[in-house]
Amino acid sequence: MSAPVKDRREKWEGPVPVPTGATVPFWAGTLEGDLRYQECECGNRQLYPRAICTSCGDEDPPFEVSEGVGTIYTYTVCHVPGEPGFGDRTPYVVGAIDLVEGPRLLALIDAEPEGLEIGASVAVTFWQISDVAAIPVFVPE
Amino acid sequence: MAEPIIAGVAESNLGETPDRNWLDNAAIATVRALEDAGCTLEDVDGVAVAGGDDYMPALVLSEYLDLEEPSFLEGTEIGGSSFEHFCGHVRDAMARGEADVVVVAYGSTRNTGPRDERSLEETHPIDGFVRPTGLFRPPGAYAMAARRHMHEYGTTGEQLAEIAVATREWAAMNPKAAHREPITVDDVLKSRKIAEPFTLLDCCLVSDGGGAVVLVSAEKAAELGVPEIAVAGVASTSTHRQDISEMPDMTTTGAAVTGPKAFEQAGITHDDVDVAEIYDSFTYTALVTLEDLGFCEKGEGGEFVSGGTTAPGGELPMNTQGAGSRIATPDTLASSSSSRPPDSSAASTRESARSTTPRSRSPTAPADSSPRVARSSSGGNHERTSERPP
Repeated sequence: MSAPVKDRREKWEGPVPVPTGATVPFWAGTLEGDLRYQECECGNRQLYPRAICTSCGDEDPPFEVSEGVGTIYTYTVCHVPGEPGFGDRTPYVVGAIDLVEGPRLLALIDAEPEGLEIGASVAVTFWQISDVAAIPVFVPE
Repeated sequence: MAEPIIAGVAESNLGETPDRNWLDNAAIATVRALEDAGCTLEDVDGVAVAGGDDYMPALVLSEYLDLEEPSFLEGTEIGGSSFEHFCGHVRDAMARGEADVVVVAYGSTRNTGPRDERSLEETHPIDGFVRPTGLFRPPGAYAMAARRHMHEYGTTGEQLAEIAVATREWAAMNPKAAHREPITVDDVLKSRKIAEPFTLLDCCLVSDGGGAVVLVSAEKAAELGVPEIAVAGVASTSTHRQDISEMPDMTTTGAAVTGPKAFEQAGITHDDVDVAEIYDSFTYTALVTLEDLGFCEKGEGGEFVSGGTTAPGGELPMNTQGAGSRIATPDTLASSSSSRPPDSSAASTRESARSTTPRSRSPTAPADSSPRVARSSSGGNHERTSERPP
């Protein structure tokens, strides 16, 4: 996959991820439009990226690229900004997305709240918000 | 087994304490709780504290209280459930004869105090995945869990609101409650939206204050002549840390694990329980915990709380002081800028099968027992709502 990456660096006033340790490959992938997750040789798939496999304990499980699609497990409509820089965005939608590969990811859903429902299909896009990271943002399919 | 006896409880002033820090509030609550127990600081040989904004809170509070060589120290930080968790450790320490009078204390200035504004460089790597979503935590995280519960079980906003309405009825009887006016289900549903499906009245207050419980050994209890209100069962577990997406099943909390253990230790069943005091950071929190503790079947919490079950006169009186949603109890989730979804769960049964004599307690009456009005807020990091519930 290579999902669209929109450059939002100038507009973004919110928190910016800091790639570090096991998360470095994940954030590097986002700049290319790739949503990566860790898939261990034992078969365990995980996000957020960690230095060990939470199933077998192997160190530095390798990354695979997700298809970038999934379903909404649940979501909320935020009327109160939870972070600096979100004041002008309310109301905005944050969801827990179950990727088709298994891992669950918390992410912004770029859509009007009215049409959303649990179980709906979504696809990833990216907002580049710094020179080193783009955040996954899901849109209804 | 030696069960710690709850000999005294007290709070510091609540609501807004701009001239106090967390430690002041914890210490004031401690001294008041000791007075309630009929003992003094000199009797204290153990301190258990969490939630304070200090790196080593047990040491800090011991020093502040000028304790002389306390034999029991505990500062495990597992969020709001820390204090129940401590009770198990206190029980073990008392069984070993290590301590006779232990203060379990908490203090906070979440309402008026400075915010912890740590950058993402200084926090857990997962925060880089969570904070850029802008999720207003903790309300937004619990709201997501609540919506999933609604989806799976048909729970409704009206049913969640029933909890708020019932709790406000209890608050009306508590002169220290921040909000005592009656509210209706409709009031809850129509109050300002915070993080859907939650409105303002689904959310707990954020306030300054401190609370303390004095736990004493059976020998000390006999010496003090206090009724034997014993800690009869305690259990702890953890399901996740802070990010709601790491919760294995968003509609089931750790209480499903800890509840049965605590009941078994206490040797009681649900039928023995006359009163439940359940953390209600949000209406949903109380609902899901009732389910997970087994007061009703999983998924039937909404039906269970409908019709005033937890209200005065109801089948299961719950949060009889008005609780976190309606009175300015200190926010026991505080430990950093971000309070937490139910990252861990500790349960304690506060009824003892053999100790059911209610204590006739003289009012703990702090000097200013007039109600302190806390700025109502749904908690969280960056906004303190000035709006008050109707």
